[in-house]
Amino acid sequence: MSDALTSPTLEIDDDPEAFFELSLAEGWGDGAPLLPPTDERVEALLEATALAPSHVIGKLPPRHGAATVELVAINAAMAGVEPAAFPLVVAALEALVRPELNAIALTTTTSSVHPALIVNGPSRDKLRIDYGAGCLGGAAGRGSMTIGRAVSLCLRNVGGQRTGATSRSVFGQPARFGQCFAEWEERSPWPTLAERQGFTREQDVVTLHGSKGNFPVADTNNDDARDLAYMLAKCIAYPLSNYYLELTGDCGQIVVVINPMWAARFGKAFGRVESFQEYLREHAWQPIELWRPANQEVLRKKNRVDTRGRVYLVNRPEQLVPVVAGGLGSLHAMFLPSWCQSEMQSAAVHGATWTADLLDAALDEARALVRSDGADLILVEADAATARVVLRLDVGDETCATGACVMPGEALRPMIADVLARRLRGALEVRLIDPRVG
Amino acid sequence: MNAPATPKRRITIRRPTADFAQDRGAPSFELGRKIAGVRVGIRHDGTWRSWQYVARVWAELLRRDGAIPVLLQTGERTGPEGEKTRADLEAWHGEIDCAVSGLGTCGSCTMWSVRDAIGVEAKGKPVAAAICEEFVGHARTTASFLGHPELKVLVLPYPLETLSEAELLPIAEEHYPKFLALIGAAR
Repeated sequence: MSDALTSPTLEIDDDPEAFFELSLAEGWGDGAPLLPPTDERVEALLEATALAPSHVIGKLPPRHGAATVELVAINAAMAGVEPAAFPLVVAALEALVRPELNAIALTTTTSSVHPALIVNGPSRDKLRIDYGAGCLGGAAGRGSMTIGRAVSLCLRNVGGQRTGATSRSVFGQPARFGQCFAEWEERSPWPTLAERQGFTREQDVVTLHGSKGNFPVADTNNDDARDLAYMLAKCIAYPLSNYYLELTGDCGQIVVVINPMWAARFGKAFGRVESFQEYLREHAWQPIELWRPANQEVLRKKNRVDTRGRVYLVNRPEQLVPVVAGGLGSLHAMFLPSWCQSEMQSAAVHGATWTADLLDAALDEARALVRSDGADLILVEADAATARVVLRLDVGDETCATGACVMPGEALRPMIADVLARRLRGALEVRLIDPRVG
Repeated sequence: MNAPATPKRRITIRRPTADFAQDRGAPSFELGRKIAGVRVGIRHDGTWRSWQYVARVWAELLRRDGAIPVLLQTGERTGPEGEKTRADLEAWHGEIDCAVSGLGTCGSCTMWSVRDAIGVEAKGKPVAAAICEEFVGHARTTASFLGHPELKVLVLPYPLETLSEAELLPIAEEHYPKFLALIGAAR
């Protein structure tokens, strides 16, 4: 049994059905079989991330359970995530805990909404994340099926999301099992979704969208790309969209999944993705007369009706988010409608070695130990390969010229080492250069 | 002769669940005096017309009893509008002596009604969350895991939303004294 892991253990028969029955009895799963989270499986996942098992990614809603990397790995092991894909699960949870995704509301609502994962970057094929035919269900790529499922299991087991108790979703949706697909970047005429969020094409990035489900549309009658986009816009603006319940059209996004054939047509008509988004927004409205009188009254009270009698769905073009994916059948598109009270979040994937971002985050926590005394820690050297970090203590301003108000180096060093070891995986060697000691 | 059964091999697995912190028991508060002269907050989210109607009726009843109703409509929860909502709530907390926060009649609106009620309770002021019967369990669970298991919950019939104003009026009138009693206010 591993000394590195701290989660409670259970001894069970080495029998897939016994574990399946246990998972059902304990409420750990989604009704489908899971893999037993043995130490071997969990540690293989942990090896794939630079984060320490005890590092807390955040508190998961609705019950605010602490998502340590170890607990996430246990749930990912049950979902069947392969080690190379584990950093993507971690990144998805980093995005999930950001307040603007509003996951506390997503996990408790009567709506069907659930975080859909959209992946960009060079690892899409290696991780078998689907972006071609059947990418929203049926293609059966291991990455697509297991990564989304791992996030769902974390919400259940770490966040405490339980249908009928903490979650009041009336219908749920198939994607609550987990939804993860990638963008077919090579067939997109525009910058990728991740690039539009400020990342590079070389980065693996996961974007979370609070999606109400999959809304399919089809058309074979329009040869003109603008007419086709016009019809898409009208479909997006369906009259019982959540947007028409809101006080404003300011919040949330709608993902518009466009097949590669249509993407090529749109690319010719709209050279820039922004012009496509603007065109969609310009036509994503309905006349107030479309609604029954009670709806009309409410929409008027909320000032949603403009002087021409139009009720626009959203206020800004960037709320309509095209993503190119799917098979080559040139007649289908899919919307992932918005629950509105949730802002899409993207996070870069970090691998098994430290990145500057991860080290900075760990050092920030260590620096807090001395900054209240007016001192600071300067990074001299950090080597992920040897797990060695060298820091120099800067004792700060004149009021602490002798460094007497900062704790001695021999007491400080183990505290810093503790912080770094909690956040970064590996047997860390931490050296502290203390100018007060010759 | 049957061969003896081979004992099954055993494996060790890790438990996948978080250790949820014990629910803390933040205190709830009572007004302990007459409602006259008291500034009573009524929070709604602009979604449920039934609750907006009840709020209007209660505002009139509070004025009749010498209290000062302070209505707040909360807005969006994310983006720039979300910042405005949080600022509005903070300002409202400062303006009121006690409050009712509703309406809990769906999953997220129950959660927000409870969270906004807890925001008042965290300021040491009496408050009740107005929740329809169907969502009371959800409200109590939410209040517990947010550390306020004693949060007062005013239970309203379900559903309210399809009722006419003529049908809502007696419900509003019946539950007004129940609300006052719940927060420890006398008429």
